[in-house]
Amino acid sequence: MHRFRFILYRPIQFIPVLFGISVITFVLVRLIPGDPARIILGTRASPTALANIRAQYGLDEPMWVQYLFFLKNLGAGEMGRSTLYKIDVLKLIATRIEPTLALVAAAVILSLLIAVPFAALSARRQGRPTDHVVRIVSTAGIGFPPFWLGVMLIILFSVKLGWLPVSGYGNTLGEKIQHLILPGLTIALSLSAVLTRSLRAGMIAGLKSDVATAARARGMPENIVFWRHVVPNALVPTVNLLAINIGWLIGGTVVVESVFAIPGMGQLLVRGIFTRDYMVVQGVAMTFAVATVLINLLADILTVALDPRVDLS
Amino acid sequence: MTTLLEVRGLSVAFRDHAEERQLLSDIDFSLGKGEILGLVGESGSGKSLLCRTIVGLMPSSKLHLDAGSVRLDDEEIARLPEAGMLRIRGKKIGMIFQNPTSHLDPVMRIGDQIVEGLRFHRGLGRTEALEEARSILGQVGFPDPARGLKSYAHEFSGGMRQRAMIAIALACDPEILIADEPTTALDVTIQAQILKLLMDLRAMRGLSIILITHDLGVVAQTCDRIAVMRHGRIVEQGEKRQLLANPQAAYTRELIASHPSLPDEEHRPLEHERSHVRPIFEVDDLDVAFPIGGGLFRKRRDFRALKRVSLQIFPGETVGIVGESGSGKSTLARAMLGLTPISAGHATFDGSVLTLEREATLKRLRSEAAMVFQDPFNALNPRFTIGETIAEVLRTQGETPPERIRERVGELLDMVGLERNFAGRKPRSMSGGQCQRAGIARALAVNPRVIIADECVAALDVTIQAQIIDLFRHLAETTGLTLVFIAHDLAIVRNLCERVIVMHHGQIVEEGQCDEIFRSPREDYTAALIAAIPDIDPDRPIGGTAVPAELQPA
Repeated sequence: MHRFRFILYRPIQFIPVLFGISVITFVLVRLIPGDPARIILGTRASPTALANIRAQYGLDEPMWVQYLFFLKNLGAGEMGRSTLYKIDVLKLIATRIEPTLALVAAAVILSLLIAVPFAALSARRQGRPTDHVVRIVSTAGIGFPPFWLGVMLIILFSVKLGWLPVSGYGNTLGEKIQHLILPGLTIALSLSAVLTRSLRAGMIAGLKSDVATAARARGMPENIVFWRHVVPNALVPTVNLLAINIGWLIGGTVVVESVFAIPGMGQLLVRGIFTRDYMVVQGVAMTFAVATVLINLLADILTVALDPRVDLS
Repeated sequence: MTTLLEVRGLSVAFRDHAEERQLLSDIDFSLGKGEILGLVGESGSGKSLLCRTIVGLMPSSKLHLDAGSVRLDDEEIARLPEAGMLRIRGKKIGMIFQNPTSHLDPVMRIGDQIVEGLRFHRGLGRTEALEEARSILGQVGFPDPARGLKSYAHEFSGGMRQRAMIAIALACDPEILIADEPTTALDVTIQAQILKLLMDLRAMRGLSIILITHDLGVVAQTCDRIAVMRHGRIVEQGEKRQLLANPQAAYTRELIASHPSLPDEEHRPLEHERSHVRPIFEVDDLDVAFPIGGGLFRKRRDFRALKRVSLQIFPGETVGIVGESGSGKSTLARAMLGLTPISAGHATFDGSVLTLEREATLKRLRSEAAMVFQDPFNALNPRFTIGETIAEVLRTQGETPPERIRERVGELLDMVGLERNFAGRKPRSMSGGQCQRAGIARALAVNPRVIIADECVAALDVTIQAQIIDLFRHLAETTGLTLVFIAHDLAIVRNLCERVIVMHHGQIVEEGQCDEIFRSPREDYTAALIAAIPDIDPDRPIGGTAVPAELQPA
């Protein structure tokens, strides 16, 4: 299985990537106007109290010293203390990571469940009314902003129909799944619009391809030609498209978690930005970066598994 | 001989709201049991469409079967519904295609593609089907069938892929095999092997074959009967020997006359005095290596595309460089023009050493040498008219005054035998031959002393090939142009060039006067290449053997 050998040394290539991300997030967070010490203590705090807080969190040091502390802590497996929650950022993230991962997974699964059948329907009826409907809907789907779509879904399924909970996350697995359907769908609807268009194009090309002609020439019925030969070949580029969109997808969770009040990383990030909680923002940004890099690795593994010609080693 | 397939009065038209075109008109032919019928014609003659129509796989819904019948074993199949055709396709009629690479499913194992048909048509279980598939792979010449089953198409060479295609097509033991240009994409020696295999399979299984090809040489050596197609009609058909010896239709005579395997006696290439002239190209111990693999954690390895190549080309000469794909002939041409980095050795152009005075030599090369490419369409900018394409070169070169450019474009078009109004046309509205003429006109625009033509007729029909060759010959004779003609087709080189250089695995294996080399090659490799040339003489056996040279998957 030497084609999968890249899994072993790909993580080493992550080091410079992560280093770069750490610099960028560190600097960007400090460019946000506002003084964290004043936000913690309020507008009427005395200069001494402010100075104490700054000293406590190391905010009075020059920026490069702060960065070195940040790196040193990172090496020790710490990301500093949250000024708002007063606990270690890593511990904080650990409690928030599950809902976000579950949301991303739900969004990917739902978007494939939507995109594959619709693309198949559309491609096999190319140029006919079904195809036009699918294409119009998927073009429109790209246009709907997630925050609007989320609210509309809540109004329809939760308020009017009462099928699904309005917001929150729940405790048991069943509850969690129930709570994830609407937010997952909110992201999936936009994502599946992109996937449908790419899959449809791949399937149409596949139906006209020499591979399909050869399969028909050996007497395979159209259903087998489509699902056994056309679809697997069309899925390969779609996996890559998904991987490219993963950054966008994680960005989407920030908005959607706020709309649906899901206690995940996105919500944490928004609160961290509002309270100038530098450590939290840095920590979440780093975690998102690591997640993006890891998901791309996963996509590469999937590509290699789907397409025997690909050799990344 | 019992008749297996009978086609009568078949007509197919393209029809949509805007236009109607007749693509096949009144086709009649029959195929006997165990017979090989050669269907010959140039691109666009309708030969592929005919075969797709027979199996009910017309490539567009705008094509309509207007008239005619197709009888297979006395059953009418021309208008059979899809469900009925499923038990004909693959089971009674198998098909193989020109490009095995694009017709094999890249993400499915070869074995699974064979098993698929066996399970569907013969209802075999997976284990039985795999066993059967293994035996078929053995029959088509896979040295290790068990391993072949588990391999993917990209692991094999072109010839082995075509064998895999044949195995898939023959899995359900069809009575008829339709082979659509099965060897066109292959090297001559591999072509000979595949043709031999088809003939062996015919002998073993009593298979009937319809062999579609543009190359009369291929049919002459394999088929029993020949049908010549043009513009959607069969212009002539008959027993092979009779048809070749005594062609009735003017088009058949033209096809036979255009075939490069016929030595062209009236155009013997001129011999040039070479001893006291400075060579225009001189290559000394040239090495070109490309890095392969390599990365952060692995050592870089080099693929040596050229190994210690030395040659001289003299002004006014017409030199052919021949070899199979991967032999390094294109790399050599690119290295001589400074288009690819040289790893070791020297390349000299008319006294300037490319490796020493790179900038100066490149400058001279750009204005004194030109290249003509294989794919005439893609070598031209689709958004430019031919006039703009040529004018661009003239402007860049800056030797033609702007007010003279229009006139010069016209002259260049005259030189290559294109009407002057082609200056206003775009490649899309031109045929392959016309595009190639335009490509040559562009090459001539710099008024070069040398033209390097890289497989420039490989993509063209034989009659067009013959015209382009005539054009080159005319240019060489009238303008004193030096021509380096790279080709895999030895027959063409024999007709055009005075000297030939044979390449194999990045090395020159033999060089010398064309006549001598073709008459008495010194090297076995050259002899094998020459023997593999499809010859229009039906009594010459196909060269090569049925045993594949490259036995292992790559």
